[in-house]
Amino acid sequence: MRRVVGQMSFLATVLLLILHATWGWAADLATDNPRTMRFPTVEFNPPDAERVVLDNGMVVYLLEDHELPLITINATLKTGSWLDPADKVGLAGMTGAVMRTGGSAGMSPDEVDEALEQLAATISIGFGKESGSASLDVLKKDLKRGLYIFADLLRRPAFEQGRVELAKLQALEGIRRRQDSPGSIVGREFAKLLYGATHPSARETSVRSVESITREDLVAFHRQTVHPNGIIVGVTGDFEKGEMLALLREAFGDWAKGTVPDVKIPSVAESERKTGAVRFISKDTSQTHLRVGHLTVKETDPDYVAVAIANDILGGSSFRSRLFNDVRTKRGLAYSVGSGLRASVYDEGVWLMRAETKLASTQEVVNRFVANMERMRNEPVTDNELEEAKEAYVNSFVFSFTSASSIVARLMDLEYDGLPKDWLQQIRDKVVKLTKDDIQRAAKVHFNPERLRILAVGSGEALSKVLASFGEVQEITLAPES
Amino acid sequence: MISLERARSIGILIVAGLLAAAVPGYADSPSLADRVIEHKLANGMTVLMVERHQAPIVSINMTFGVGGVNEQVGLTGLAHLYEHMAFKGTRTVGTRDFEREQAVLDDLTLVGNELDRRERADSTKAEMEGKPYAPSQEVQQLQRRFKELQDKAGEFVVGNEMALLYQRHGGVGLNASTGKDITRYVISLPANRLPLWAALESDRMAHPVLREFYKERGVVMEERRLRTDDSPNGLLYETFTSTAFQAHQYGVPTIGWGSDILALTPAATEAFFKTYYGPNNATVAIVGDIKPQEVIALIEQTFGKIPAAPPIPTLVTEEPPQRGERRVEIEFDAEPALAIGYHKPTIGHPDDFVFDVIDEVLTEGVTSRLYGTLVRDKRLAASVLSDTNYPGVRAPNLFVIAATPLAPHTTAEVEAAIYEQLDRLKAEPISSKEFERVLNGLDADLVRSLRSNSGLASQLAFYQTVAGTWRYVLSARDRIAAVTPADVQRVAAQYLTKSNRTVGVLVKKAPDKKMAAVGEVSR
Repeated sequence: MRRVVGQMSFLATVLLLILHATWGWAADLATDNPRTMRFPTVEFNPPDAERVVLDNGMVVYLLEDHELPLITINATLKTGSWLDPADKVGLAGMTGAVMRTGGSAGMSPDEVDEALEQLAATISIGFGKESGSASLDVLKKDLKRGLYIFADLLRRPAFEQGRVELAKLQALEGIRRRQDSPGSIVGREFAKLLYGATHPSARETSVRSVESITREDLVAFHRQTVHPNGIIVGVTGDFEKGEMLALLREAFGDWAKGTVPDVKIPSVAESERKTGAVRFISKDTSQTHLRVGHLTVKETDPDYVAVAIANDILGGSSFRSRLFNDVRTKRGLAYSVGSGLRASVYDEGVWLMRAETKLASTQEVVNRFVANMERMRNEPVTDNELEEAKEAYVNSFVFSFTSASSIVARLMDLEYDGLPKDWLQQIRDKVVKLTKDDIQRAAKVHFNPERLRILAVGSGEALSKVLASFGEVQEITLAPES
Repeated sequence: MISLERARSIGILIVAGLLAAAVPGYADSPSLADRVIEHKLANGMTVLMVERHQAPIVSINMTFGVGGVNEQVGLTGLAHLYEHMAFKGTRTVGTRDFEREQAVLDDLTLVGNELDRRERADSTKAEMEGKPYAPSQEVQQLQRRFKELQDKAGEFVVGNEMALLYQRHGGVGLNASTGKDITRYVISLPANRLPLWAALESDRMAHPVLREFYKERGVVMEERRLRTDDSPNGLLYETFTSTAFQAHQYGVPTIGWGSDILALTPAATEAFFKTYYGPNNATVAIVGDIKPQEVIALIEQTFGKIPAAPPIPTLVTEEPPQRGERRVEIEFDAEPALAIGYHKPTIGHPDDFVFDVIDEVLTEGVTSRLYGTLVRDKRLAASVLSDTNYPGVRAPNLFVIAATPLAPHTTAEVEAAIYEQLDRLKAEPISSKEFERVLNGLDADLVRSLRSNSGLASQLAFYQTVAGTWRYVLSARDRIAAVTPADVQRVAAQYLTKSNRTVGVLVKKAPDKKMAAVGEVSR
């Protein structure tokens, strides 16, 4: 779930800004009415990164940027918590964390920490659901030393026992604290309500699963999933390509290939996806924390772009959106309100509407959610709304290319996901061609009132009464964590 | 969303953003000192510009020297509410017909004031008599009239038009925030859209209209519930801060006390605007693909027409010296947490630079003293951090250390371990290795802070506003480099004392099933 649509900038892409622009707006100043101001679209040809594949399959993107004496190396690793065994949920996450903290073959954990802080360099390593990431950020003068530590941690992590124990204690404390805030509860429990509690996209660590993880498990997980042919590296900053490639070959070139896992996330049962549900969790709060939505398309679905723009108009675009205007601006019922669409190429996406509001206005807010969803289905969006959505998208396009690192990160993401280099360009073309009918049709198919799952965290019994008009209400009781 | 109350979250490391030019190798690139172009308008507005031509974009940070510190009791939350209202448009933007709208807004204010007053009086009376509050006939009549006027006013509104215009032209990152000391409005745009920004913002500075006032007051109440009332940390820091500051406005929550928010009026908000939001109290930092001479011309033509406001009232209240430790517990259905604060001088005072060093030595990075001992070695704490400028920088503030215990260890054990490290600061000089690490970190942060347009704009406008000059960031680095181990010992002994400290402890409380949001006036 590394790209999130719902904010227009994520739809935007790397490659195609061949639009027009001029300076000299001074001439237009006579018309200083912001409603009628018009500007040419900005012209910009972002630099392209060079792609090199090392003999062992490691892919490297390089893009020089000499403004500041800094170098950043980012790596995406084909691994992830989707590989966690059912009885050791948390294994991938802990492997990534202790790769950073647990030292390497060449250096003890303390030596790594001290060296990095003395250089004012940072290395971070973390494994998420569908991929792992590692990065080095270092001053140009310290590149060699930084790269040595970085490569050693990636290739030969030591997983020192004391640091493994510390990571486990921290994970247990995290579990103990995860019911503290209603916002965190509603997010996690809604994922479970959509995917099911054992699905890789929703499952959580438990005291038992964390306690069962051993140093040997981390060693094995690293050995099984981290291989040079499963790594994409992106280098940006103040370097010279030839020298950098030589350094990378020195650091990684003799690392042998291995068998890389292919990311596969199980589907949610069709029967499970078709039904709605109303659930609440009792917590002594001053607001009801609401999530209303259901599973939706993957990023590669032909309807994805139409759903994304429908969501944008409904609640994704902040100030422009219907939900923001209706629930916040016109009614003053919530500070944070909107809808979101999160999709990846691997997993069923999530579409949801969300808000926090006082108990007394909870029912009204859910009613507004449903009414706005129905309106998207039952009538076309206005010409103005469609035009605004498209203009916002096209005009903010340039923000996808603001730096060498953003350009390279995008190329790495697309390659990791097996998408073509011009993928975002294709999306842009589809956005520009969308019609009101396309959007209504997508809303009708993909915003489904029968399938709505409603979750509310808030003031117990009173809340369950307020929700009763939306279906049979059941309570979710949170298990004590310790 | 619109508002982030940044100053309330601990961990804004002012030090981490210092810019200087002393990094080896950095001499090759043009130094910041040479790249910032300053321009001052006749009406007092300050413009800071940096050209960066990597991409055809520009980031703009408009900072006003006003925040929670400028509020009076009874009107707390006013600066933050005004920040919300500033998105409601002007006499031309956000309305279909301002002249007709204005008449309705005037009536609405009259009825709204009367309704607020009557509802408050009646609910107080009901409480005294031990009866449930029920609106009287007269109140119900006022409510109906209020609703009619609100609907009528709504007919003139073009909802969120200012934001919509920005977005339509490709604007991203539109946001605003209110802190103790400052209020800021930020946006990034394709570079050739700068005239749109100048038109919208000069109009907002000259002619804001407080439309949809009562609805936005409700939104702010929801924001307070979200960020403070339902947040263990939000509530911990609100109570901790108001315990540490008993006279000075730093003790008042920037979002406002709930009862004050519900009593804020359009008249008070407008008076606040007229006092604090003139060009003479504004700094604009513009970083990106610009031609400074063109930008100056544009700003002179737009903002230049706005007259300066009268001089800003000075702050008179000083926090009296603390005479004895203060301790406060906050009960919440959450795991325990701890905050410890010491009063200290602020920006520009020689001892403030010493605190920058202490802050880094104690908590910056995994080799720092508190992280190393409490988290890594003794495993008493799950996290520990510090902040040397809490909750603001314009007035004497607090050095704060915050930690969460790692069960089964208690806040008391963590607290004792922290004091042990503070005593060590007093007893022995910091090592040259530690000091070198502090300076390396500062210098590297400084280079990194130049990476993003919006980050750089934010820094420049911030220091211009709170220190009087953006160049503070350059001089601060040298002042920090001049700190000696003896200074650290002296300052630790002088300020990090029991009688000068306030301790806030979040205490786990079992949930009770009481109803939330009782007795609130809702519209």
